[in-house]
Amino acid sequence: MSSAMWIAVIASAVGTLLLRLLPMLWMRRRLARLGQDDGIDAMPQWLGILGPLMIAALLGTSLVPKTLDAVSWLATGIGVLANLAIWWRTRTLGWPVAAGVAAFGAVVVLASWVL
Amino acid sequence: MSQQAISSSPRPWLIGIREAIPLLGGYVPVAISFGLVAIQAGFSAQEAVLISALVYAGASQFLFVGMAAAGSPLWLVVVMTLLINVRHVVYAPNLAPWLTASRGWPWLMHALTDQVFALAHTRLPQLPEAQRLGWFTGAALFAWASWIAGTALGALAGEELMARWPLLGEIMPFALPALFLVLVVPRFTSRRWNLALGLTILSALALTVTGFTNLAIPLAAACGALCFQAVKCRPAKHSAHTQGARHE
Repeated sequence: MSSAMWIAVIASAVGTLLLRLLPMLWMRRRLARLGQDDGIDAMPQWLGILGPLMIAALLGTSLVPKTLDAVSWLATGIGVLANLAIWWRTRTLGWPVAAGVAAFGAVVVLASWVL
Repeated sequence: MSQQAISSSPRPWLIGIREAIPLLGGYVPVAISFGLVAIQAGFSAQEAVLISALVYAGASQFLFVGMAAAGSPLWLVVVMTLLINVRHVVYAPNLAPWLTASRGWPWLMHALTDQVFALAHTRLPQLPEAQRLGWFTGAALFAWASWIAGTALGALAGEELMARWPLLGEIMPFALPALFLVLVVPRFTSRRWNLALGLTILSALALTVTGFTNLAIPLAAACGALCFQAVKCRPAKHSAHTQGARHE
């Protein structure tokens, strides 16, 4: 790798770190300045709304299967239902994820045998 | 992991690692793909691993090696890489109210990816203050290590792995939407949030299907935020019901 390429890698790395770090420092300073006991109240309202919505957007993008065929969408739907069913029963993080992946995988494997 | 178990556990970093395990399902196959793509683009295995360790941002790494291999000007490669990562600016401020006074937090922001943010945004508020730094360190460093290890595996043996277990690369990434779903579902707490979250999920899905993958996250979140505000503005006569709850 040329030295110019190394500089590009380092610039991308430092830039990405700053995009993650500087807003944290800004918010910490704001929280300290406002000096409120409950930090959530010192957070701008738009930011508190945007957090959950960003996670919802991540869910939306990650739901799209790699191959856009009927089997993949069916597997996604069944995986989501299995995930929700186990979450409803257990209210945990790990088991619903395992159940969702197992259900998704079962549909994909079954389809690969049948089709 | 139950709330009681977390409160009594003496090793929060271990809980962080355990709760970050679902991330591996999404991280490792993508990291293997990145290692493979980087080798095919002319980078060495060590270089691919270093890019993963230093930049640590999935989509932008693929763009970086792709544009670099195509001979694009390097300043443009850097600008495009950073543009894709701009969405990260809202992550840390959302976690800030739950960060303790430790000097370790700024360094840990290197590992604040989409997935780590989603996990931390749900878990940090539930943890006692004394356990937050340990939990985040465990979860974030474990995810980072898995990304680096996956890249190394992909660079050294990616082709063979993909040929031997072609379905694995298709199935394991479902762990990510499965995890995000578990993190989002408890937030469906009112009509206002239901509409905003539902619209965000559907618009992100539609944008991704139509090929606007990189724009999908910020645009969909913006749609959801507009919906959230619109629902608040419309039924002014019901405003008494919403008072007392910050975001309803």
